[in-house]
Amino acid sequence: MHKTLALPVTVVAIALGFLISIQAQTQKNVSAAEQISADRMTQMKSVLANSLAQNATLQKDHSSLLEQLDTARKKVGTDPQLLAELAQLQMVEGTQAVEGPGIQISIDDRDKKVLYPLSTDDLATMINTLKFAGAEAISINGQRIVSSTAIVLSGSSTIFVNQVPINRADGIPYELSVIGDQDTLFDYFSKLEAPNLKQDNKTVSIARKTLRIPSYKGMYTFKNAVPVIVP
Amino acid sequence: MRLNKKEQYLLGFASLLLGFLFIILLKANGVAGSQVTPQEAVARLIQTEQENQQLSIGNEKIKQELVKYDQGQSAWDLANEQLKEAQMNAGLIGLTGPGVQITQDDSKRAANAQEDSACFIVHEKDIRGILNALWNGGAEAIVVNGQRVTTNTEVFCSGLYIQINGTQQKPPYVIEAIGDTNILSGALKFYGWDKLGDLEQQLGITRKPPEVLSNIVIPAGKLRDYHSAKPTTEGT
Repeated sequence: MHKTLALPVTVVAIALGFLISIQAQTQKNVSAAEQISADRMTQMKSVLANSLAQNATLQKDHSSLLEQLDTARKKVGTDPQLLAELAQLQMVEGTQAVEGPGIQISIDDRDKKVLYPLSTDDLATMINTLKFAGAEAISINGQRIVSSTAIVLSGSSTIFVNQVPINRADGIPYELSVIGDQDTLFDYFSKLEAPNLKQDNKTVSIARKTLRIPSYKGMYTFKNAVPVIVP
Repeated sequence: MRLNKKEQYLLGFASLLLGFLFIILLKANGVAGSQVTPQEAVARLIQTEQENQQLSIGNEKIKQELVKYDQGQSAWDLANEQLKEAQMNAGLIGLTGPGVQITQDDSKRAANAQEDSACFIVHEKDIRGILNALWNGGAEAIVVNGQRVTTNTEVFCSGLYIQINGTQQKPPYVIEAIGDTNILSGALKFYGWDKLGDLEQQLGITRKPPEVLSNIVIPAGKLRDYHSAKPTTEGT
């Protein structure tokens, strides 16, 4: 009887010894990793807080500068009609923030049943449909869509719009704000785009709202193109 | 196998310890494997930093304008200058410069019974893909079959034709873009040009290699009336 027991006990003892040593090793690694990650997180948070504070200051500067500009223009007596025309054009090219009636679209693709997370192609298709529906201004997660907006993927999941990553860490992953004729926008989007998204278990909600859409913060550059001289 | 009491205790204790250690080990590994939060913070940071950069540029532009007002530059001149710039940005001015030309046409070969005829035509998605790649490559102006691509331009499939700027367009589709020709060609290659090449070989969709042209003329786009959007009075 004692002979038959010798083997299992030996095996158990070896396994035990093995596990204890792995355990000790892992515990050490984990605490080291936790330490590093906590350190990084604190650093990251302070850098982020810095950056956010800077952002707030810049925003404040921006609005006060706009005010100054407005008064300066009034003082020199710039033709109001010319300014109105300018504002109209800047609304079209996107450097002017706009407000008006439209729809807000929220898309959530975090559900486990979603096979394909929202892709750059999906976004491009949605924007195209909205333009087809006569949208006057569009933004995705705060990035204004203008003529030269490119939507590209970087790495495996980071989506860049206007060269800015738009992925969100928390909250609804994608929010599109669209200004235009509410009924047309709602109709076109709910019939042409929403069904495809819902089919893949993505959550889509469309709300009629009065919206504010921020301006395009990028730059238009013309280094190669020169205006055609009209005789 | 029969064990005496002492041996039973020993074995029981050993098994307990084994199970306990396993659980701790699993937990420890789980902790080590879930460190996503810093990455999310990084994304947020990049976003804010880039927005800050954009804002600083914008603020700088306004400051320059204010300086010009202070210097007493003619208000009319200044406003006109800005108007010109806005028209240029909005695509309302015809432009000329070096660029690339891309031509795509439906396949001349008819689909046989086993093939899907939808694969033999150029789709609006292909065109949009090329436009996206070109913009990403820093294109300054783009035209498709004579239609200037502006903020409001749709490239929408309407069955028999592709609708661009409200007009019906049929193949061949000729896309022309003004910009740095090296960067434009590179961007095209990077985003899908080779994939389209495979399609061409399999199905005979005509796709000429991008032609680099020293002088492309791109017509002005049309201004659309806005009814819903109004400029905001404050904020960006």
